Amino acid sequence: MIQKKICMLGSFAVGKTSLVRRFVENIFSEKYLTTIGVKIDKKVMELKNQSLTLVIWDIAGENGFHQIHGTYLRGMSGYILVADKTRTATLDNVINIHKTVAQVFHDVPCVLLMNKMDLTGQWDVQESAIDKLSHDGWDVFRTSAKTGQNVEEAFQRLASRMLEK
Amino acid sequence: MDDISAGTEGRNSVHNSDELNSLRTLILAPEQLEISELKERMDDPKIRAEELSRVIAEAIVIRAAVDRKLATALLPTIEEVIRDSVKRDPKFLADSIFPIIGPAIRRSIAESLRAMVQSMSNTLEYTFSWRGVQWRIESFRTGRSFAETVLMHTLVYRMEQIFLIHKETGLVLQHVAAESINIKDADMVSAMLTAIQDFVNDSFSAKEDSSLQNLDMGELTIWIEQGPRTVLASVIRGNPPSELRTVLKEILENIEFEYNMALEGFKGDASPFEPCKPDLLYCLTQAKKSDIRSNKAVAAPVKIKEKKPKKGGENVVLFIYIAAALCIVIIIVGFIVSIL
Repeated sequence: MIQKKICMLGSFAVGKTSLVRRFVENIFSEKYLTTIGVKIDKKVMELKNQSLTLVIWDIAGENGFHQIHGTYLRGMSGYILVADKTRTATLDNVINIHKTVAQVFHDVPCVLLMNKMDLTGQWDVQESAIDKLSHDGWDVFRTSAKTGQNVEEAFQRLASRMLEK
Repeated sequence: MDDISAGTEGRNSVHNSDELNSLRTLILAPEQLEISELKERMDDPKIRAEELSRVIAEAIVIRAAVDRKLATALLPTIEEVIRDSVKRDPKFLADSIFPIIGPAIRRSIAESLRAMVQSMSNTLEYTFSWRGVQWRIESFRTGRSFAETVLMHTLVYRMEQIFLIHKETGLVLQHVAAESINIKDADMVSAMLTAIQDFVNDSFSAKEDSSLQNLDMGELTIWIEQGPRTVLASVIRGNPPSELRTVLKEILENIEFEYNMALEGFKGDASPFEPCKPDLLYCLTQAKKSDIRSNKAVAAPVKIKEKKPKKGGENVVLFIYIAAALCIVIIIVGFIVSIL
């Protein structure tokens, strides 16, 4: 059994905890619980004929990397950046977080989740901006913790990239 | 003209070089001889082996007195040799250990009988004594099992769980727990403990070499031992003796030494750390108040081997108590009525 530590990063209230909850327990609670510090979850998955335990560190969303406890990221094998489709500022923030994290943790795989795709009437982030990121080599997934859209796929993708390393 | 001066300079330099060599030989000849002798000794495996053979026994004695690292290093080789020997000729080893098999079996049976008698004695004491009744009522009142209640009143300490954690990732390398302990998910507990340590270090700007060593929660204490690449977190109920901490430190040091390579290249696979489980199980100890009264050393604690009693059994005993109490009340009332 292989174990890997992954971290969830992103601004406040982008849906990190809900995405984890959706992935881990396959349910979604409408009640949002603000993450204080860090929350640990675990999911065992089968990938490439081997059992993989993902220990997920859901790190409190702050507006910038420096507010995040940097030591929480130590030893991670991959990370998930989460932005809110209804708030463009959250995308700018994860791009900044990614730049800072990549300087410290070289070659650690990551995926970007554009969350809250179910709130179609409130979309703020331009589709062209997301397409540009994909074009630049980012692994982008349009997700919804509420409907479960692409959540499993995003985690699977990160897991397989971690195993490739 | 230039050619002539160059030739003269060349001759002078050769002459100087010869003089320098002669001087070097005069001054450094004994040292050079010693160096060449030393080189010869170092290059010749036969001489090296002879020299090593003169000090090896003494070196082993000295190192064995210092720590267990020599034994740990030799263990895999010795195990392999024994395995090969048994494979080649099992009779040889069987003959060798034959004289100790009989006494070992007798001792084991005697030990089991002693434990059984002790357990029966405890059961009778706890079931029929006034203290036992009090504990049963308490267990009924608090909703805790009778075994838990007894344990609470008789225990000095009990090592309930040990987590061996990879320091950098917070992933669990090994986890052992005493029987009848309600175990939460070891992976998550391990990660959470790591997060708590990180949080404390970050929040209070602790120095590089300082670390969280204790966590106290009511009856529970968590001892945290830090190695360079691993952390040993021990969950203890009660008041453990300080010597136990030394034992844990030694075990952590041995793990760091023995699994040096595995820790170096750790990529999430905990299976190479499976062999250290017996060492961790060895630390799952407990000491009861009766052990102290009977002067049994707390530092040499008792190995936990207890089974959780069935709740149904407890209810039956409680029912018997109530029935007995009712009978006594009826007899007393009957007696009073007959007198009146």
